[in-house]
Amino acid sequence: MFLFFFWFCTETCSDSLPQQDPLRFVMNLERLPNEEKLCLCRKYYLAGFALLPFLWLVNVVWFFREAFVKPAYTEQSQIKTYVKRSGMGLLFWVAVLTTWITIFQHFRAEWGAMGDYLSFTIPLGIP
Amino acid sequence: MNASDSDEDVYNERTALVPSETPAVPSYRPDDLSMPDDLPTQRAKPGLSRRGGPAAVDGSGGGGGSDQEVDADDEELTLKYGAKHVIMLFIPVTLCMAVVVATIKSVSFYTEKTDQQLIYTPFTENTASVGRRLLNSVLNTIIMISVIVVMTIFLVVLYKYRCYKFIHGWLILSSLMLLFWFSFMYLGEVFKTYNVAVDYPTVGVIIWNFGAVGMICIHWKGPLPLQQAYLILISALMALVFIKYLPEWSAWVILGAISVYDLVAVLSPKGPLRMLVETAQERNEPIFPALIYSSAMMWTVGMASPMEAQRSEHQSDEEAEQSGGGVEPERRQFPEDELEEDRGVKLGLGDFIFYSVLVGKAAATGGDWNTTLACFVAILIGLCLTLLLLAIFKKALPALPISITFGLVFYFSTDFLVQPFMDNLAAHQFYI
Repeated sequence: MFLFFFWFCTETCSDSLPQQDPLRFVMNLERLPNEEKLCLCRKYYLAGFALLPFLWLVNVVWFFREAFVKPAYTEQSQIKTYVKRSGMGLLFWVAVLTTWITIFQHFRAEWGAMGDYLSFTIPLGIP
Repeated sequence: MNASDSDEDVYNERTALVPSETPAVPSYRPDDLSMPDDLPTQRAKPGLSRRGGPAAVDGSGGGGGSDQEVDADDEELTLKYGAKHVIMLFIPVTLCMAVVVATIKSVSFYTEKTDQQLIYTPFTENTASVGRRLLNSVLNTIIMISVIVVMTIFLVVLYKYRCYKFIHGWLILSSLMLLFWFSFMYLGEVFKTYNVAVDYPTVGVIIWNFGAVGMICIHWKGPLPLQQAYLILISALMALVFIKYLPEWSAWVILGAISVYDLVAVLSPKGPLRMLVETAQERNEPIFPALIYSSAMMWTVGMASPMEAQRSEHQSDEEAEQSGGGVEPERRQFPEDELEEDRGVKLGLGDFIFYSVLVGKAAATGGDWNTTLACFVAILIGLCLTLLLLAIFKKALPALPISITFGLVFYFSTDFLVQPFMDNLAAHQFYI
């Protein structure tokens, strides 16, 4: 998992541009060239597969304007794809988590020992 | 729980000194960091740095009319710039303190008496006599401060000898611990307080997401507001750990001592932080691993000066100050935008932590909301004054001393003078 992180973070998107500083941290999307935006979007999308729906959410929110509101540019269609797929992945995760949490909360008391084993915190009082 | 060393490291490096930006950079250099604002030193001093604005003014005002005109414009812009930044720093500091106070007031875990102490404060305060207790707290403070000094010097040495990988790795480890372990504990306590049942898989997913996205945002690239939010959260977490594990009187003495240390280390010529900053400036590189909170913002200025485009934002790992500006290589490409990216003011995370410790302690042990609010106001006033001084002196300044002094004064006077006064007035139904 941490090797994955290493790969993820050390891969910079700025290989094509000569003046990029690999340690540069981007805060503002406005200042990035389009190729880098695409690269960043793609990385966030791929990294989200490591059980990281939050990362997909960040991807969707951050790149939403780039993908859907801005006037068209060459890389926009690809960014759009990534944003859409991140959105779908996010929805999938939300559904799965909601289902699981509902099931757990409802049946926790009935499961007895198994319920306790799965529980991180056990509330006091009568369920 | 005995906090590990990395705890202290993180803590140490929080207070960052952010030197002010060097005067107008004559040529655009993409990798140029005009501000070395990192605090690799462990106990970086809290500092404020201001970048961008004045330089921009210097650069662009030169072509204007007489010198006097330029100076007047300069002054005005400086003050406006300063005012904007005061506001921009108020919000994160307030948020951090609000999170800490809210947690203290609701989750009793952080105010429960515990016999566990950090290894940095080995002397107990459960002694019979007042004198003994005072002595123990002073001894604890001495140990804590010396640990901080040693770590700071160690960090400066590492930085001088270019052991960047080591520093980087250290910062990553600390941020890992903060983002995963402390937030796990925090989440557990919050759930226990609200008496909800949560299962391990859900908690695992939540903590994994929170931590992984945090690491990505802080140490790599991420949206600025999210990064700022993460920095605020980890400062709050760190402050909560301190509030829990530092004994009562030691905490107050440590706060006072840290402010003095900060003052000395930043301003004196042989201070470690000052040396660090100077080294970084000589090498013209970003100060690496300190955690600095940067309030970058953009404002349109009618001058076409391309100089201040650079922001050497260097994101450092948690420990380091995170500078929030990024290098703006694209600036040259969009001269027609005339957008000037303001470098923003940087405030070290150590400052956030200690401000929050002060307010949190006031909320935990002080009488009631009067004390808490008084401390909060005092800290903000101190921050204002510090930023004003920053605007005047235009170099890195310690952010702790003024605020902490005001905070301590207000805390003790409110707790011992104002509080009983108000209670008596209320008891006798006497309104003034």
